[in-house]
Amino acid sequence: MAERAYKIAVIGAGPAGLSAAARAAEVGVSHVLLEGAPHLSNTIYRYQKGKLVMAEPTVLPLRSTIDFEAGSRERVLSVWDEAAARLRVNVRHGAEVAVVGGTQGNFTVSLAGGEVVSAEFVVLATGLQGNLRKLGVPGENLPFVQYQLDDPDEYENETIVVVGAGDSAIENAVALSAHNKVIIINRRDDFDKAKEGNRTAIERAIQDSVIECLYNSAPVRAEAASDRNGKPGVLVVKTASGEVALDCDRVIARLGAMPPRKFVESCGIEFPNNDPNAVPAVSAQYESNVRGLYIIGALAGYPLIKQAMNQGYEVVEFIEGRAIEPADEPVLRDKFRAVVEIRSVSSALEVIKKNVPVLSGLTTLQLREFMLDSVIRAPKRGEILFELNDYSDTFFSIVRGGVDIHVDPNDASKHVALTKGDFFGEMSLISGRRRNATVTAGERCILIETPRRSMNKLINSVASVKRIIDDTFLRRAIQSQIAPELPAEALREVVASARIERFNAGKVLFKEGDPGDSLHLIRKGSVTVARDIGGRERVLSYVAAGNYVGEMALLTDSPRSATVRASIETETIRLDGTAFKALLSRWPDIQGKMQSKARDLLAGQSAKVQQSPEGAGDLISFLVNQGVGEATDVLLIDETLCVRCDHCEKACAETHGGTSRLDREAGPTFAFIHVPTSCRHCEHPHCMKDCPPDALRRAPNGEVIILDSCIGCGNCETNCPYGVIQMAVKEEPKPVNLLSWFLFGKGRAPGEEISGHHDAGAAKIATKCDMCKDLAGGPACVRACPTGAAIRVSPEQFLTVTRGTTLDRS
Amino acid sequence: MHESFLAYRKFLYLKLGVGLIVLSIGAYALHEPPHGPNGGTWLGYTLGTIGAGLILWLLFYGIRKRQYHSKLGQVSGWLSGHVYLGSALLVVATLHCGFKFGWNVHTLSYVLMIMVIVSGAYGIFTYVRYPTLLTDNKGGMAIDAMLSEIGDLDRQCLQIAAEMGDKAHQMILRSIERTSFGTTSWRDALGGVSKGLEDLGREIKSIAGDAEPPAPLPAAIPQIGGEATVFFVADQLAGFRDSARAALGHRLLDLITSKKALVIRVQRDIVYRKLLKSWLSLHLPLSIALLAALTVHVVTVFFYW
Ligand SMILES: Cc1cc2nc3c(=O)[nH]c(=O)nc-3n(C[C@H](O)[C@H](O)[C@H](O)COP(=O)(O)OP(=O)(O)OC[C@H]3O[C@@H](n4cnc5c(N)ncnc54)[C@H](O)[C@@H]3O)c2cc1C
Ligand code: HEM
Ligand code: HEM
Ligand code: SF4
Ligand code: SF4
Repeated sequence: MAERAYKIAVIGAGPAGLSAAARAAEVGVSHVLLEGAPHLSNTIYRYQKGKLVMAEPTVLPLRSTIDFEAGSRERVLSVWDEAAARLRVNVRHGAEVAVVGGTQGNFTVSLAGGEVVSAEFVVLATGLQGNLRKLGVPGENLPFVQYQLDDPDEYENETIVVVGAGDSAIENAVALSAHNKVIIINRRDDFDKAKEGNRTAIERAIQDSVIECLYNSAPVRAEAASDRNGKPGVLVVKTASGEVALDCDRVIARLGAMPPRKFVESCGIEFPNNDPNAVPAVSAQYESNVRGLYIIGALAGYPLIKQAMNQGYEVVEFIEGRAIEPADEPVLRDKFRAVVEIRSVSSALEVIKKNVPVLSGLTTLQLREFMLDSVIRAPKRGEILFELNDYSDTFFSIVRGGVDIHVDPNDASKHVALTKGDFFGEMSLISGRRRNATVTAGERCILIETPRRSMNKLINSVASVKRIIDDTFLRRAIQSQIAPELPAEALREVVASARIERFNAGKVLFKEGDPGDSLHLIRKGSVTVARDIGGRERVLSYVAAGNYVGEMALLTDSPRSATVRASIETETIRLDGTAFKALLSRWPDIQGKMQSKARDLLAGQSAKVQQSPEGAGDLISFLVNQGVGEATDVLLIDETLCVRCDHCEKACAETHGGTSRLDREAGPTFAFIHVPTSCRHCEHPHCMKDCPPDALRRAPNGEVIILDSCIGCGNCETNCPYGVIQMAVKEEPKPVNLLSWFLFGKGRAPGEEISGHHDAGAAKIATKCDMCKDLAGGPACVRACPTGAAIRVSPEQFLTVTRGTTLDRS
Repeated sequence: MHESFLAYRKFLYLKLGVGLIVLSIGAYALHEPPHGPNGGTWLGYTLGTIGAGLILWLLFYGIRKRQYHSKLGQVSGWLSGHVYLGSALLVVATLHCGFKFGWNVHTLSYVLMIMVIVSGAYGIFTYVRYPTLLTDNKGGMAIDAMLSEIGDLDRQCLQIAAEMGDKAHQMILRSIERTSFGTTSWRDALGGVSKGLEDLGREIKSIAGDAEPPAPLPAAIPQIGGEATVFFVADQLAGFRDSARAALGHRLLDLITSKKALVIRVQRDIVYRKLLKSWLSLHLPLSIALLAALTVHVVTVFFYW
């Protein structure tokens, strides 16, 4: 049943949607703001109490009808509530949208309750948090069934059924069990999906009968109780031994959130590919492929509040047919000022699109965003852009002029020229490893330098970018790793046979005894090489990205002599064996070179097998299992030397604002090698995955660092699988006076951590190891160790048996 | 990969130390002063100055190791020099005074120096020996995990004991209450463990719960590492006639034995750590005393001699 028609229906009252509706209200356009939650801005509402909301990026001006500046969560929310009321924004709470149908002029927006709202234009601003997953059985919306728990202390002496086996279900169950009888329903027979700490907590509680657990069980239906005197609800659960009915006061289901993609697709909006990080493409006016349906905010790939609010304002202007200068125009104009000849931003963008094929598939909006993140550089001739073995990971596109790639570090005369329209730096971007050559600028060149995240975002959301970069990577990797001296044409067949393959951690690339039909160039990740010795798979070596495996069988025409496994998520370029053999027979030089390398390797391995009946290989497996395989630099402690004096931790605290970023005692030990809890500076840092202001970066020496633009959201802390990021208040501890401390015990002891007595509102930001990049002389932990027990090393230094040409030394 | 401070830069400081010793001995052998070798000859002054300089430098190690911002090399290099050059002092100082000892402040500083060096040598012994023992003793288990395992075992013991009757229950409760890990000062040396113990104590109290407090037993039972508890249970076991109770007793005995093994491991951990540290509380004060005595020595020889 269609209600009255609005001109604009805005879905989602986050910063983006609210700002749009507020602008519509201000200019008197008929509108409705549909919000599923009972309050505005559910995402921000759910931030931790008292959290400081930050207004990054600082260079971007705010353009919205409502105010926003950095402040506590409560303050931000109250400003918005007040503004919404003052402007008479037509907001409807509890209006969860199920699907949007139709097109410009006659959209029908169906709510979960069955009601339908019609509108000429729809603005989708539902963010990325997704909707909480429901029980999916009859009675899922009964009042005693809830999907969130704000304060476990609210309930006492109740019987509560918790459904779910993830971290939040466990945390809720354990917290509730203090004052309530708790039953937890687990679909599976373990809690392996949860974090270690939560898992042990719940297993302990179950063992001690503090919490009852039904394993291999699932809810069938929820019913309101018929008996007035008993508990208000019944949850019927199917267990391995039949159905049971649980009388309870409430059911708390913590089943995670549904990624919003399904909902978005059901509205007819297309995504560029299947990558889970892909965002739908929108035009410069934020319009999706469905005419009249606009997408703004986090859902469109803009993860910060200020961006979202600006887009809310702009989208209403666009719908109203007013062309306005985007808010980022002055910022972009400033950027282009580096290049004298360019007059206006729009002509600059045109030139870029025309000159750089890899960027020509971008929408204007995407290109603007891309340019906002990027730096335009006009280096002098001969200026070094990056050097061999640098750890930087930016991506360069050439808008004008050219650059020289110095392929041979020992011979300056050997270089390859790249010109207008080419790009470089993709190797480090994809492999996460050091630069494999030095690049210098040519005459009058103009370059765009783009940070890793923006580039990855583009690769994930624009199909043509991904294709072009993958193809080029393929060609260049094959050339540089197999046969740098051959002309490109000679490799054409091999390149044509190549394809990219992906392996999850632990997956086998090929097994000992398999026929040898291919060669793998590792382009990302790393692998271990193992042989069956006495019925047990023994690891012989570790091979990092930038090397190849599998050549042995091809060279000798024999079955695989070893099993190769991905030690972490790995991507390889698989070259077909037949094409490869054909290449070798045509170019005997290459064959000879590879053969002699393979021979050395084989000799090395068999020596290894004989020398160390146990030990070395097991140590490699252990370290690889600890994630050292994806590290670029890891702290290892030799426990035969470590006198447990904790000077490493003290040194870390003293040099980093009084908070140690390393926990020496924690972490596993094998054969006296201890891997403490400390950042490994991963090749592909998990912590970077979801950082709204892109504050996590890789510095030229390889260290993964956090910039001051951190907004303290805590995503990185959650995403790091090694638990090395802490949220802490930034503070400079008082200086230490050694003499008065020693003589009178006065003042702070050297290396003492500052205790966390702060106001609730103090801004916590992420802290982690930065490898003491600001300290001359290297990591303080290592230098402070009195016995030499602590060292920081890169895995190749102790794991790799060098194989083939490495990318580093091409 | 790892390089021990003892082997720092291929034993650079060992070589320097030996060089210093050889030079000193050579000079001493060649030197024939009119009144026999002593601190007052030119060689005596030279060796004395070298010795005093070394001592100041050795003392400075205590400062350097806490200067975490320092750019002056690695602490392990400093310790390497500390150990080898510190030991060379033995020869340098002895030759300085030309074996002229007496009951005076000069010899006092010499004796103090010897004590510092000996305590340092003992320190090296602990540094070489206990790290390995610590790791072996832990056997891959974190101390926290051991403590919580002990808690688990205690809980299970209590449950079984409760089924076995009042006397057994009391016995076990007491044994749990008296489980202790080293002395208090030892615990203090290990913030983490002592906190873990507190938590454990609280937890066990809450489990033992509102059950009446353990009544005094007719005769005091000596508690040495849970020995008595084991004997007690074993005793009971021998008396059990029906098989269900016997099975209970056996389980209890097993639990107590594994708990005992764990307690011993935790205790060892504490002891080893303590041993790694405690010698420093001899080494450091002695070295300060040495500084004082040495100052007096130098001042007296200049002003009163
Ligand atoms: C912990 C944390 C801290 C952060 N801190 C900061 C910070 O300090 N500064 C900063 O700039 N950014 C921060 N961010 C990012 C910021 O929260 C987002 O960029 C911003 O909220 C995105 O706004 P949005 O309007 O696009 O979506 P959201 O804010 O997610 O709003 C979407 C709204 O739509 C509603 N909704 C969803 N689906 C439906 C539906 N089907 N029907 C009806 N309504 C629906 C939701 O209930 C919600 O209210 C943080 C993020 C997190 C997770
Ligand atoms: C600046 C450094 C030093 C100077 C100038 C110095 C000077 C002297 C002199 C002049 C003497 C001769 C006194 C005598 O013969 O009675 C002497 C003796 C002696 N010195 Fe030193 N000395 C120095 C450092 C040291 C050090 C480092 C030690 C050892 C810890 C030391 C231990 C002795 C001893 C044991 C004697 C013998 C005392 C005696 O003869 O009864 N001196 N010193
Ligand atoms: C007279 C000579 C010496 C002096 C004055 C001296 C002084 C010191 C001082 C001041 C410290 C710092 C203690 C602290 O702050 O914790 C120290 C530590 C130490 N000393 Fe000596 N020392 C001397 C000789 C030696 C010798 C000969 C050895 C070994 C054979 C030795 C071994 C050590 C060791 C192992 C440490 C601990 C290092 C650490 O853990 O940081 N010392 N010494
Ligand atoms: S913080 Fe964690 S994920 Fe990030 S680089 Fe360090 S170890 Fe890797
Ligand atoms: S660095 Fe971490 S806490 Fe800071 S904004 Fe990025 S993801 Fe959030």
